[in-house]
Amino acid sequence: MVFKKFNFWFISSFLISLAVAIPIITVFISFFETTSNYLSILQSTFLYDYIFNSIFLLLGVLILTFIIGVGCAYLVSFYKFTGVNFFKWALILSFAVPAYIYAYSLTAFFENFGTAFSILKNIFGEGDYNLFIPKFDGMLGAIISISFSLFGYVYVLTRVSFHHQSQNLIELGKNLGFSRKKTFFKIILPSARPAIVAGLSLVAMETLSDFGSVSFFGLSTLTTGIYSAWISFDDLTLANRLSFYLLIFILGLFVLENFSRKKAQYHTPPKGGFKLKSLTLLQGHKSLLAFLFCFTVFFISFLFPVLQMLYWTIIFPKHFVDLNVAQLFLNTILLVFFSCCVLISLAFISNYGNRVSKSKLLETLTTFSISGYAIPGIILAVAFITFVSWFDNNIISLLNIRTIKPIFIGSILGLVIVYFVRFYSLACNGIKSSYLKINYSIDESSYLLGYSKFKTFINIHIPYLKNSILLIGILIAIEIIKELPITLIMRPFNFETFATTAYIFASQDLLEAAAAPSLFLILIASIFILVTSRYILND
Amino acid sequence: MNKNFLEIENVTFAASNKNKVSNVSLNIENEGDIICLLGPSGIGKTTILRTIAGLEKIQSGSITLKNKIISSKDIHIEPENRNISLSFQDNCLFPHYNVMQNIQFGAARNKTNKKDLNINEVIKFLHLEHIVDKYPHQISSGEAQRASLARSLLSKPDLLLLDEPLSNVDQSFKEEIQVKLKQVLNDLKITTIIVTHDSYEAFYLGSKCGIILDSQLKQYDDPYNVYHFPNSVEVVKFLNRGILIPAKVTGENSLENEDLGTIKGNFIKHYPKGSDVQLLLQPEDLEHDDKSNLKLEVVDRKFRGTNFIYTLKTLSNLLIPVFVHSHHIHQHEVDEKFGIKRPINIDHIVCF
Repeated sequence: MVFKKFNFWFISSFLISLAVAIPIITVFISFFETTSNYLSILQSTFLYDYIFNSIFLLLGVLILTFIIGVGCAYLVSFYKFTGVNFFKWALILSFAVPAYIYAYSLTAFFENFGTAFSILKNIFGEGDYNLFIPKFDGMLGAIISISFSLFGYVYVLTRVSFHHQSQNLIELGKNLGFSRKKTFFKIILPSARPAIVAGLSLVAMETLSDFGSVSFFGLSTLTTGIYSAWISFDDLTLANRLSFYLLIFILGLFVLENFSRKKAQYHTPPKGGFKLKSLTLLQGHKSLLAFLFCFTVFFISFLFPVLQMLYWTIIFPKHFVDLNVAQLFLNTILLVFFSCCVLISLAFISNYGNRVSKSKLLETLTTFSISGYAIPGIILAVAFITFVSWFDNNIISLLNIRTIKPIFIGSILGLVIVYFVRFYSLACNGIKSSYLKINYSIDESSYLLGYSKFKTFINIHIPYLKNSILLIGILIAIEIIKELPITLIMRPFNFETFATTAYIFASQDLLEAAAAPSLFLILIASIFILVTSRYILND
Repeated sequence: MNKNFLEIENVTFAASNKNKVSNVSLNIENEGDIICLLGPSGIGKTTILRTIAGLEKIQSGSITLKNKIISSKDIHIEPENRNISLSFQDNCLFPHYNVMQNIQFGAARNKTNKKDLNINEVIKFLHLEHIVDKYPHQISSGEAQRASLARSLLSKPDLLLLDEPLSNVDQSFKEEIQVKLKQVLNDLKITTIIVTHDSYEAFYLGSKCGIILDSQLKQYDDPYNVYHFPNSVEVVKFLNRGILIPAKVTGENSLENEDLGTIKGNFIKHYPKGSDVQLLLQPEDLEHDDKSNLKLEVVDRKFRGTNFIYTLKTLSNLLIPVFVHSHHIHQHEVDEKFGIKRPINIDHIVCF
């Protein structure tokens, strides 16, 4: 109430949110603009294929990630069995493997005369094993690659929700005479619903905006359609409009879930009522089954792609020797460092602006701006290039200033700006959820002790949130290390990262050469994940 | 120029339409005075404190501190520039600093030349010695409340606002802390407004008490007057320290009740002879006398340590509370008869 005015924090926060919202606004405006005749061609040819494939891919990935993510989270949260403490954190290592690298591994292992063939040949001698080796390509390959790469979102969020569920809930089930199965389906699972939905929402957004694996498998989805509209027909408006459909589709899913949830509350009341869970000890075959389930998921999601890449790196050492590891490492870390600094600083300012301004307008704009996470990286990159070109042609040229295009296009700065728009929601939501833990009376206490808003920000909030900042920084770093389409489009000439190097080799059908950069990428991401695993698992 | 230290003139305090206290006017005359605000939960007491602290704005009236308007329709001095400290009811210690560091935040703010208040003294009198190294999540709510109080005290503000400062404090410490708190506030001449729901705490700590009921400041007076001379039926009911019984004024110093007979005393307000009134009868107004012929039936007996409170039923089914010292020899059980000394003499007669 007091701070409803245009102060420094309000204006900063407003400008940051507006900057992030520009690509989304562009996407929305495209709905009212004319497109080339490619739209009519598309409608009579591939559009329904794009939509059907996107929906089928989405459903397949959602079902698989739900089963794997919730299954693993349930086992490690409610039971004690061999290796449970190891699986708790080991399962999140799947975050380190991007879907496109998983796709390379899957293809490399199961293709004709691939790794599976070599193994069988070494064990059983010469034979026509290709007939018996299943082929995971096309839609199935994409579903598997994306699911095992993304199930971690569902696992982590569901596990946190299970972790914070009170033993009282389980005892309530017992008191009502429920079996273990009925308790799971009637009490435990519904209580974790918001977390599961949050995890699945992230999976849905990532799936619909995935480019690397679907293009590798030659699958036509809305995302590849957006890419074609831009590359083949140079029709940015149509590309934007397809993105708009994508956004509407995702928004529809959220609305549907919210509507079905009605007014049900899922959180435990903050005061009292919480009782720590007592874990059930599994013995005999039950313990073995639980172990096998978790191990299989861990093996398929992490060990399998790592071993495949390691195998190729070892048997094709030439590619490894040719790789300029130091330069690629430096480039990757440089991008990570600058992007994290920009993202965290601006997301922090934006959140604090929202907090002290208490403005509905600002809150709405911020919520709108973070929906950019659902826009494929390609479209963000293209929208940015278009905006810079328009600004250069219409504004800068009038001022008789030299062109600004080289500053923003094909430069580190441009790359960092587009990363900023893409991952702003991650930084903003991360800091927002940390801020929610700070009661507003803490700020008020600070003001009443004579601290201004700036001093409160510096002396109270930053020290309190430093762990969260570190955690969010590392999560962003993991995403940037894995990010592909934006880096491909926006990077300076001859500037490569592990991700782009792997993609370039893979797109030239040199999967064995893609192995070493993929392996380094997984290694760096794994180190970051291990550093933060304690936080990721608890919060 | 205003003479009062704090002046609140015709201010409507509102955080929402529900929590609204309208047209409040009250003054704190001297620096160092302590006043208490009493009222039921959710009436808007905290909103008053938040508004004075500058955390809420006002739409009408004005608040003046030390001859300077700090809040009005057009003026709003930011909370950090008011030198007013508010100790919240809930734990609002900075969670990432330990208790000592939290308390030092208050000490760091003190830039006045007032008589120095030693940080260790405050820690000692608030019994915080054993928790100074602990973090807020490691201490109880009562300890957090005391730490918050220490932080506020050490900031030595021009005006200290305490919102239910001892509500979570153990009973064993409470009275001792009340005594020390009053002593420190008086010694340092820290002007203080305390919101509490405990009328005894308010009567002890405050030189004046305000009773907030029905979105209004109903009475603002000395604690003695608030207790003995409540100015409305609502205040009587809120304090819950007596009942109203029907009576007829029979003379300059007497009334007649059909169950209790003649009641004598000094009227604090004139009522014409023959008027029908509601007489305030407080538990200490009646005396036990086994030999009296006025016998009432005991319907309940509460042991309160130093005394018993008997609830007696009259012939017309009125329920009357009576205090009796707990060492009184003749104790009465429920359903027994209880004698009341006649004639009934009351020091001051309050009627409505």
